[in-house]
Amino acid sequence: MDYDYLIKFLALGDSGVGKTSFLYQYTDGTFNSRFISTVGIDFREKRMIYQSKGRNYRVHLQLWDTAGQERFRSLTTAFYRDAMGFLLLFDLTNEHSFLEIRNWIEQLRLHAYCDTPDIVLCGNKADLEDRRVVTEWRAREFAEINGLPYLETSAATGQNVSRAVETLLEKVMLRMETAVDMAMVPGQSGKFKDTGEFMLRSSSPAQKCTC
Amino acid sequence: MALNAQYEAIGKGFVQQYYALFDDPTQRPNLVNMYNVELSFMTFEGVQIQGAPKIMEKLNGLTFQKINRIITAVDSQPMFDGGVLINVLGRLQADEDPPHAFSQVFVLKPLGSSFFVQHDIFRLGIHDSA
Repeated sequence: MDYDYLIKFLALGDSGVGKTSFLYQYTDGTFNSRFISTVGIDFREKRMIYQSKGRNYRVHLQLWDTAGQERFRSLTTAFYRDAMGFLLLFDLTNEHSFLEIRNWIEQLRLHAYCDTPDIVLCGNKADLEDRRVVTEWRAREFAEINGLPYLETSAATGQNVSRAVETLLEKVMLRMETAVDMAMVPGQSGKFKDTGEFMLRSSSPAQKCTC
Repeated sequence: MALNAQYEAIGKGFVQQYYALFDDPTQRPNLVNMYNVELSFMTFEGVQIQGAPKIMEKLNGLTFQKINRIITAVDSQPMFDGGVLINVLGRLQADEDPPHAFSQVFVLKPLGSSFFVQHDIFRLGIHDSA
């Protein structure tokens, strides 16, 4: 196994906010995603180097995407399980997608591995400035109240896309470094040869972190 | 009322007609004619609603445009009130999304020489574990 950490992130938000385009942009326009039809999860992967305290760590990043089932209001708990960080997207040109962020956060706190999971809030489609309906000030205020980092992103131009993922990675790595017991963080109990394999595990209460 | 011997043909015919309307965004509003203003129940992904206006509100609120659908099986039974119980198993693809399995159950209630959808239960075939 030629990486030090396997990190799983989830992209969430209303349909049409640009989750798939966002991940597509981040993985350099490559679309070699894998689809697991039983749980309706699409995921793509990227390798990166994370630096901490003068050391380099090889990170294997898995980015999970929905397969459109949120359009039917249908997300199973399998989707949230085992993810270590969340990219929460809304569309700056769509008021409703911003209002729905509150619900997404509630869902996350309910289904994620702990009730204060690491989230980065992204106001996407920042390139469509003339169609913007959610002001930066309003989004920032909301993010601040909820204790979330906020970035204005564009999957079309690539603005802040990498930064959003890196911001989330830093939060997650910090959490892992500060975790008293590494076994309390999901996904650190072992590394997996087959990326399809880990999804078969069901989460046990013992894996829950105490944060 | 007696059992309707044509239940098999009615089931298949209904399913074909229903999805032809559902899958075409310009035709979807016409589904209103399939439901009763009060006497129709729908359970869509666990959300229960009653009556044609609320059902259409739900269907019109879906954000995809076209749907591609492959029906695997249509199983029908005659009901003792002359109605038809239908179970549909299939796969659907909304716009360019990956395909999902789905199941849908209908109860057709006789009304004069025709039927209306008295019950409609829909679920995507996605699970809590792989």
